[in-house]
Amino acid sequence: MSRRPTSSLAACVWIPLFSLRCEEARHEGLATYPTALLAPDTTRKLWQVSSLARHAGVKPGMTVSQAIGLCSSLRLIEPDPVHYDERFANLLSALNEVSPVVEAAELGLVYLGTDGLEGIFGAPEQIVAAIRRTVGRSDGRTVRLGYGLGKFVAWVAATRSKPDEAIIVPVGCEKAFLASQPISVLPLDSDIHRRLRHLGIRTLGALAAIPEAAITAQFGAVGKRLWRLAAGRIAEPVAGRIAPEAIVAALTFFTPVGERELLVHSLDKLIGRALKHPRRIGWRVHAVRLRADLECGDVGAPTNRSWLVTVLLKDPTADGERIAAPLKTRLEQSPPTGAVERLVLEFTAFAPGTTELQLFARDAQAAARAGQQRALQSAAREIRMRVKRSSLYHIIEVQPWSRLPERRYALIDYEP
Amino acid sequence: MVPSARTPLRTDRLRAVNEPRAVTVELNESGRMTVGRPDGQTVGQVEAILESWRIDDEWWRQTISRSYLELLLAGGKRIVVFQDLLTGLWFMQLP
Repeated sequence: MSRRPTSSLAACVWIPLFSLRCEEARHEGLATYPTALLAPDTTRKLWQVSSLARHAGVKPGMTVSQAIGLCSSLRLIEPDPVHYDERFANLLSALNEVSPVVEAAELGLVYLGTDGLEGIFGAPEQIVAAIRRTVGRSDGRTVRLGYGLGKFVAWVAATRSKPDEAIIVPVGCEKAFLASQPISVLPLDSDIHRRLRHLGIRTLGALAAIPEAAITAQFGAVGKRLWRLAAGRIAEPVAGRIAPEAIVAALTFFTPVGERELLVHSLDKLIGRALKHPRRIGWRVHAVRLRADLECGDVGAPTNRSWLVTVLLKDPTADGERIAAPLKTRLEQSPPTGAVERLVLEFTAFAPGTTELQLFARDAQAAARAGQQRALQSAAREIRMRVKRSSLYHIIEVQPWSRLPERRYALIDYEP
Repeated sequence: MVPSARTPLRTDRLRAVNEPRAVTVELNESGRMTVGRPDGQTVGQVEAILESWRIDDEWWRQTISRSYLELLLAGGKRIVVFQDLLTGLWFMQLP
């Protein structure tokens, strides 16, 4: 079994409030309003809050009623996780062009392994510039970039960088760079954070100055890890993912087939079979090839006739219909020039996804939900076109505990 | 009128659900209560008062004072009405 590619030098690409930025990119002018994204779960609390809304006192985790009370002009948005996943998959695909070692940490946070890239791009500044060009092309949002040895240093550098300005930590300077950083950059829970502050430890330098054994005695294994991170002793490598090999599904006909309907039906079957392949789990299909071995014609006609169509999907997907659509169009526009003896479908390239995407692909029900969501969006668009206004609403909890019945729930426009 | 119980909201964004609907409640000659709509249609004759409760709230802002009745109508239908104790008007609302 092949090992996952790793890289000790890391670049961190961070787009804060990624989901909210996706909405702002989708709805023109939204960025000029105080905006909040509702949580994707059932709590109906605020998830991500724009800076304008923050200035008005709105914070993530607030209920809708609290937020509206603080900022009456607040625009609430229903979350669209499938859309965010798709945008993130696009970003990952674009970053894969810069480095083969790409690790998605969470939506909007990606690590790139940069070992060996200096031979292609040059100094770290050039590597970072290449990443910025790529991110800008795929995603024009405000991005923060950090570069250094190991994921933690790269992450801290990204969090400290200004928008559209990278911080590069030269190899060997990690300890000096980390020393002045606040302890809040460490992956620690609120309890340890509070205890460290009570001990007067506010920077990583102050933490690293304490003997490792003393921190371990106080905080156990977690403390040991925190100390080692603060002291620059841990350089966690970026672990890329191995792109799966091509997935092939083939169908040999007993008698050569020339009818297009039958070919289309066979294509659907092949796509269904290929999507069910275990290697496909956790990946979205990016490139598809459909080829056909054609029946040899009359005696004297050239042998080994074939037909081939290659499609690069604009948005990588695990949805059979979306994979089939461009292939069917090609079947319609330039059909095979003879009867087909064997039809072969190949998934040749895949887009890596986030953990959520992997779960998403793993979970057939989730895939079905995504299909329903798309169908609902399409229906909503049609209704809006016909009646010239939005007629679909979500029910959201406003003050479910209220004694006044009309206060408990409200309708919010459903905007696909 | 029932005072607005909500922080002012933009109507294109949030719409309240289960807002009170105005009704009329009258006693006829025989002393039976009848619930009707403002357009004159009858909702039903009251067979029994199943429950009553009162809500007094928001005295610090715009006082809300309501006397709720759960009614059993002729035919078996159950509805909830309340009288706004500040204005004397009647409204129907889901519980």
